[in-house]
Amino acid sequence: MFTYILKRVLLMIPTFAIISLIIFLVLNLAPGDPAAAANPDGTETVSQDARESYRIFKEQFNLDKPILLNTRYGLTIEDVEEPLRVVADFQRPVCAEGAPVTPECTPADERPMSADIIAAQEEVENYGNYAVPHLIALAQNHERLDIRRLAVQRLAINAQRPQVDRFNPDPSDELRESNRAIAAENNQLRSWSIPQDVTPEDVDTILEEKWLPWFNANIERFEYSAADKVGIFFFDTRFAKYWENLLTLNFGVSTVDRRPVFDTVMQKLPYTMTLSFFSILIAYLISVPLGIWSAYNQNTKRDQVVTIALFVLYSLPSFFTAVLLIQFFAVGRPFSWFPAGGFISNNSENMAVLEQMGSIAWHILLPLICLTYGSLAALSRYARTGLLDVIRADYIRTARAKGLAESMVVLKHAVRNGMIPILTLLGTLLPTLVSGSIVIEFIFNIPGIGLYLYESIYMYDYNAIMACLLMSTVLTLIGLLLSDISYALVDPRITFD
Amino acid sequence: MTDSQTSSSPPRPEYKTYGQIVWGQFKKYRLSYYSVYGVLALFVIAMVAPVLAMNVPFYMHIPEGVGPYTQLQGTTSFPWFAALFDQNFFDSGVDIFFNFLLFYVPVSLVGWTLMMRFKKDLTDTARSKARLRFIGIASLVGIVLFSVIYLMAFSQPYVDYASLKELEGARLIFPLIEYSYRDVDLMAVSQGPSLEHFLGTDRQGRDVFTRLIYGTRISLTIGVVAVSIYTAIGLVLGSLAGFFGGRVDNIILRMIEIMMCFPVLFLILTLAGFIEEPSIFHIMLIIGLTGWTGIARLVRGEFLRLRNQDFVQAAIALGFTRARIIFRHVLPNAVQPVFVSATFGVAGAILIEATLSFLGVGPANAPSWGQILTSGRNTQQMTLILSSGFAIFVTISLLNLIGEGLRDATDPKLRK
Repeated sequence: MFTYILKRVLLMIPTFAIISLIIFLVLNLAPGDPAAAANPDGTETVSQDARESYRIFKEQFNLDKPILLNTRYGLTIEDVEEPLRVVADFQRPVCAEGAPVTPECTPADERPMSADIIAAQEEVENYGNYAVPHLIALAQNHERLDIRRLAVQRLAINAQRPQVDRFNPDPSDELRESNRAIAAENNQLRSWSIPQDVTPEDVDTILEEKWLPWFNANIERFEYSAADKVGIFFFDTRFAKYWENLLTLNFGVSTVDRRPVFDTVMQKLPYTMTLSFFSILIAYLISVPLGIWSAYNQNTKRDQVVTIALFVLYSLPSFFTAVLLIQFFAVGRPFSWFPAGGFISNNSENMAVLEQMGSIAWHILLPLICLTYGSLAALSRYARTGLLDVIRADYIRTARAKGLAESMVVLKHAVRNGMIPILTLLGTLLPTLVSGSIVIEFIFNIPGIGLYLYESIYMYDYNAIMACLLMSTVLTLIGLLLSDISYALVDPRITFD
Repeated sequence: MTDSQTSSSPPRPEYKTYGQIVWGQFKKYRLSYYSVYGVLALFVIAMVAPVLAMNVPFYMHIPEGVGPYTQLQGTTSFPWFAALFDQNFFDSGVDIFFNFLLFYVPVSLVGWTLMMRFKKDLTDTARSKARLRFIGIASLVGIVLFSVIYLMAFSQPYVDYASLKELEGARLIFPLIEYSYRDVDLMAVSQGPSLEHFLGTDRQGRDVFTRLIYGTRISLTIGVVAVSIYTAIGLVLGSLAGFFGGRVDNIILRMIEIMMCFPVLFLILTLAGFIEEPSIFHIMLIIGLTGWTGIARLVRGEFLRLRNQDFVQAAIALGFTRARIIFRHVLPNAVQPVFVSATFGVAGAILIEATLSFLGVGPANAPSWGQILTSGRNTQQMTLILSSGFAIFVTISLLNLIGEGLRDATDPKLRK
């Protein structure tokens, strides 16, 4: 048994890794991202300051890195030149109509689109440090002055080093010291930019005086050994950074409120769990007796009526019922007995514990109904077939033959064995404790995980979405394991050895 | 086998095929049997939606020198027929497809009846064989015809037919309900039910009854296509795993395990939320790509059961190719639980689409039932909530009932 559990737990690790990889890829490859959500039409990046804070935003959430594999150590000079050329073409004046095309102007039909400019700027910016040697080379030797100027301007940004663990709320003294040094250097590098209207000599001067000495002094930063390349290839990526944090249970911070996602999830978990726990409890309390009852009245009119009623409930979409219940019982058409949403009254702080519980019960009654009734059909069906399977078994006949009371036969012999399948189902219900029901939380405005996920999707809050999805995955894995183990625990005929 | 041998051997007794046995059993489940007609009725409603509701007249006559459209003056035309295939008017391929079926299905039915006129003396087996062949050929021709029509991308300039109605001397005959499912009318916003709008109008003044009718198309299409996608994936993967076993089986089993631990509804919601303006094709694809695990497991199980049976072993011993064994011998015997599961799957897919639309991440602009429900919730209009909710409920119930009946009919233990 122990080896079996150990094997299963070990197998869970690669499964979890693959699932996290797939979810991560889906999120990151899907159109739109948090950077775009924060900056929908590029207007945020017009001013220098806004551009800088946008860059730091990308750095904070690793959005400047490639998603899965990083080949930027092998950038060629053309990779860097191409986007710079786009930006330069955009900044040049358009050639007058009929006038000869000179190097100082862009032909009207070659002028790049604004979407291309934004993309080109992003591209060089995301290259970060990896573009520095090429930018130096471009600034030195390119035949177009405006590209040389742009290269120097870009250097002032790209040469900056990211601070280590910058968003740590309480860094160690060493870390603070080294980060301070990096920040000082970055400030200096930023000041080595040049204005838009420059002569070739200006570019030469700033290169000779500032950039070349700095570059030569720090040249080892931009030379990558084979080991460095492997490290960059696999680990300087969004996914690797994410997993690095995940190993320390750090789910990152939300792009919306900059609070750690894990804290928010933990804060929202009780709401969802309360709802799901009571929903599962009630579902079992109703459906097990119902299943037993209908197994005993098999193929009678009563059994059929119950089956059809449960079937109707099963086919009723819960969001429809929820909306109807709110209309009938909450917003005064015709009754307003229950609140239309929320988990607890607003003034709950000054209530006694009992009052608080009453308030919660009053609030969650309608959501509970909607969440529960759908599972009744399936559960009571399981209970019914479970009992029908054992009721014709020999040991039941033996129990009857030795003169046991019918209630004894049913409760002690039949039910105990017949309920094994439905008990082991509990394990698989574990994930619903977390995922609960997005729809129900959405309709009744209960601040649980489902609603949080729903809101995060609209904000492209990757870290929050990942946390919710991964949480649900882990619970599914654990639930499946528990359900297998519980099989062996309740039914001595099953062993895993 | 030579001809003389065939003629000399005694005539083969008329065995019931497996399908006939199941159908015979299925008929005994009354509710399920009637549900088949219910679903057929839904399908017919989806097909004839433009006959019931469209804002284009069947017949139009404009006298000389009247009205704003000079090209229409003094003409008699039948704009409804052209509008059916107009890709400006119906911007979704689904609508064009159903409009095409509106003509094609009656034509094929007539064709079948005529064919049977000439061949009266067919045995039951021969008739069902001929029917299968007819369905095959007819659907192939239909697909080709539809592709041609769709790829022609026919469209015509927009005409405001409702404004021509009041012109002097103009004669226009409209369908029963003179609204289209997407024309916004800001003069009639959030109305209650009336004789003009049977179920009222939504926030943008669109006629809800019309949207409800056209919503049938969306729901049925999403259900059927999404389930077809994942059934295909599940069939292929399940047969591979079950037939080859060993390493292939291991890999596919791992894939199934991984997919089963996936928070699928979360994932669907996330994907749908991320796509800008998701169309119903996106939704179908997402459901189709995430839902295949159940089918794959079923088929794998069936293959494992069948692989060691005598007829398969005989086929292997005869040296048939693997493809032939899989497709001709094993698969036909393994698909019956798939049918049951697929029927429930259609209901499930319709429910997922309705949920997505309800949450506001469903197909944009499509007249989806979930979208009607959510707009009714926002404006507190009971007619919207009740009508769309019941439409979803009835469709799902009918499909689930068929599924239940099929499940019991295919289960030999429950044979009546």
